[in-house]
Amino acid sequence: MKQGNITRRELLKFLGAAGAVSAAGSLGIAGCSRNGAPAGRVIVIGGGFGGATAAKYIKLFNPDIQVALIEPAERFYTCPFSNLYLGGLRDMQLIGHGYEELKQRYQVEVIHTLAEDVDGSAKTVRLADGRVLGYDKLVLSPGIDIRWDALEGYDQAAAEIAPHAWKAGPQTKLLRDRLEAMEDGGTFILSAPANPFRCPPGPYERVSLIAHYFKQHKPKSKILLLDAKDAFSKQGLFMEGWKAVYGDMIEWVGLSDDGRVVRVDAQAGEVETEFGTLHKADAMNIVPPQKAGFIAVRAGVIDTTGWAPVKPQTFESKMVSDIYVVGDASVAAPMPKSGFCANNQAKVVAAAIVADLDGREPLEARWTNTCYSLISPDYGISVAGVYGVEDGHIVETAGGLSPLGAPADFRQREARYAVNWYNAICQDTWGTSDLPLALG
Amino acid sequence: MTTTIVTRFLRRTVAGLSIAAALTLLGSATAYAAPVWERFEPVKALLDGATPRTNGIGLDIPLVSEDGSSVPLTVTADSRMRDDDYIEEIHLFATRNPNPEIASFRLTPHTGLARIATRIRLNETQEVIAVARTNSGEYLVSSREARVTVNGCLTRADTYDADNIMNARYRVPNELARGEIGEVLTMINHPMETGLREGADGEIIPRRLINRFTATLDDRTVLEARFNTSISANPYLRFHVRPEEAGTLTLAWEDETGAATQEKAPLQVR
Ligand SMILES: Cc1cc2nc3c(=O)[nH]c(=O)nc-3n(C[C@H](O)[C@H](O)[C@H](O)COP(=O)(O)OP(=O)(O)OC[C@H]3O[C@@H](n4cnc5c(N)ncnc54)[C@H](O)[C@@H]3O)c2cc1C
Repeated sequence: MKQGNITRRELLKFLGAAGAVSAAGSLGIAGCSRNGAPAGRVIVIGGGFGGATAAKYIKLFNPDIQVALIEPAERFYTCPFSNLYLGGLRDMQLIGHGYEELKQRYQVEVIHTLAEDVDGSAKTVRLADGRVLGYDKLVLSPGIDIRWDALEGYDQAAAEIAPHAWKAGPQTKLLRDRLEAMEDGGTFILSAPANPFRCPPGPYERVSLIAHYFKQHKPKSKILLLDAKDAFSKQGLFMEGWKAVYGDMIEWVGLSDDGRVVRVDAQAGEVETEFGTLHKADAMNIVPPQKAGFIAVRAGVIDTTGWAPVKPQTFESKMVSDIYVVGDASVAAPMPKSGFCANNQAKVVAAAIVADLDGREPLEARWTNTCYSLISPDYGISVAGVYGVEDGHIVETAGGLSPLGAPADFRQREARYAVNWYNAICQDTWGTSDLPLALG
Repeated sequence: MTTTIVTRFLRRTVAGLSIAAALTLLGSATAYAAPVWERFEPVKALLDGATPRTNGIGLDIPLVSEDGSSVPLTVTADSRMRDDDYIEEIHLFATRNPNPEIASFRLTPHTGLARIATRIRLNETQEVIAVARTNSGEYLVSSREARVTVNGCLTRADTYDADNIMNARYRVPNELARGEIGEVLTMINHPMETGLREGADGEIIPRRLINRFTATLDDRTVLEARFNTSISANPYLRFHVRPEEAGTLTLAWEDETGAATQEKAPLQVR
């Protein structure tokens, strides 16, 4: 990335306005308003889809606000397109993104450490390195944590054998290793959770692209998808695509056919479903039940569902004022827990925070979402939605799906749109600009 | 948020506050502000002038459901479930469904635990109500708002297997100690046609429901259930049994066409 080579000193020289970006307060570099005091201090926790976008857009809307982004990782690996990596279509490095643009172009202070605690009444955040930072507004976008107590036998140790790969990175690599180690003719099992969970079409895209890999390298293999639901996102389209591209390699077993996994024995490579059926696997991917990232618990913004209820117009927590929760951690249904939604919600939050710090009312909120899924490198499908607020609740005001029975060139175009979408959202969120247009 | 959890949470952490203050604190006061059941005819008819208790009963439904065709519901009443003191009936209502009566259950001391879990249909966002009656005629009421979102991500699928209607599954404990409470799981493959929807040909699909389910341990009734149109396809029930001695658990389903299925499961007691 070009901007990665610019040092801070060069940047200041380049801007020619060193005074305006001089270190201010405990947060280091920050913009200052004309009288020298920042227009407000905002801390963003989490540098994923929601957090990175929020940090950038607050600075874009008002550079005089001091923004610090707390994120332990120097590189963020996206779950979107991690299924392409699993299918052998993309290198891991191509789904990794850095924070150079946020640091250098937008003057966000990125602190690579974990936020350990939040005090909502003192309005402070404690970092793992011991520092305590004060804020006027706090944005939480910590994503998900796995509920390790929700599925018998599935703990952290089990996940080292039967990965979840529902946070991209080492878990994704581990799953790929398991798939590569599997012999032709083996059985791969994916266990999908009940709603709500991160990325409703994710498990179905994942088995599709694993089927793509099997079809090329291990064509005698089987995929068994055990599901805790009777209906899933883009179901008709997925089923049609699976049949057309993979014959009967993929078998889906829904809730009413005893598809809900209640016990995992990772060592034995075995899962048990609700009514006592045992299934043996040569490779397993357990997508377990989830909850908001732990920092949301620390901040006191979650309810007993494990997720954070928010005021729809602004995504400010219903439980603690001046804390905004975006992305997967929030309760935003009917918006799905998607990267696209997290990015969209973050922009609404950025606008609301900038307005509030400026003593203005927030604008009326509207959101959009498109989830593309790839069934194969040249077979894409999508679902789109437009959302607004009615009677204090988020509602879907328009939306639609790819048609069933569409011709091959239609599916091929949607596969290309999926790549364009990925490249665009990564550019918007992290400033990554050199991603390939080709698929696999 | 479940009522049971709220109640427990209240006892543990905010015992010093008034209930109203505590509920506001939890941000869940809306469900309690106006008790819908007081104005809801089928519940008024059932109570017949009696004043119910609103504690000692909990209704657990997801706050927000993305698939209104199958919403998990658990109702639990505090009860020792002994001969002199047990919950005898539980009734479930969906206030804004075409037929508000979801299901009714008759429990006995052999049920061991006054808890029923099932899956229901919700047409839209609405209040769901559970009413329980003790053997001495006291009523308990719990009510919760359940939001149902139209989610474009979800397409409806026919979830039952047309070739194997009335095929049942069950799971019972392998072995229980005398007087120990064990969990029983049942599910039967069945469309639960409401008689309210059209088929592909534009004709109304005739109503066809499983309307009765019984569980007996030898000659003792453990549970009786009556289902209405708001029970999801493939009726699913989770309940309990407390055997005093070994016996055969008979699970029996009947549908409106007269079709019936029975499953027998030995229950070992040590
Ligand atoms: C297989 C798969 C495929 C997917 N495909 C798509 C897709 O095609 N399109 C789409 O739109 N979405 C997709 N998603 C969903 C998408 O990944 C999530 O919805 C999105 O990542 C949510 O953004 P977020 O900001 O809430 O969380 P994340 O993007 O996960 O970011 C959270 C960040 O917070 C950091 N963090 C957590 N706790 C702390 C703390 N205490 N202190 C500091 N930092 C912290 C984490 O390190 C992480 O970097 C997919 C998901 C999966 C699993």
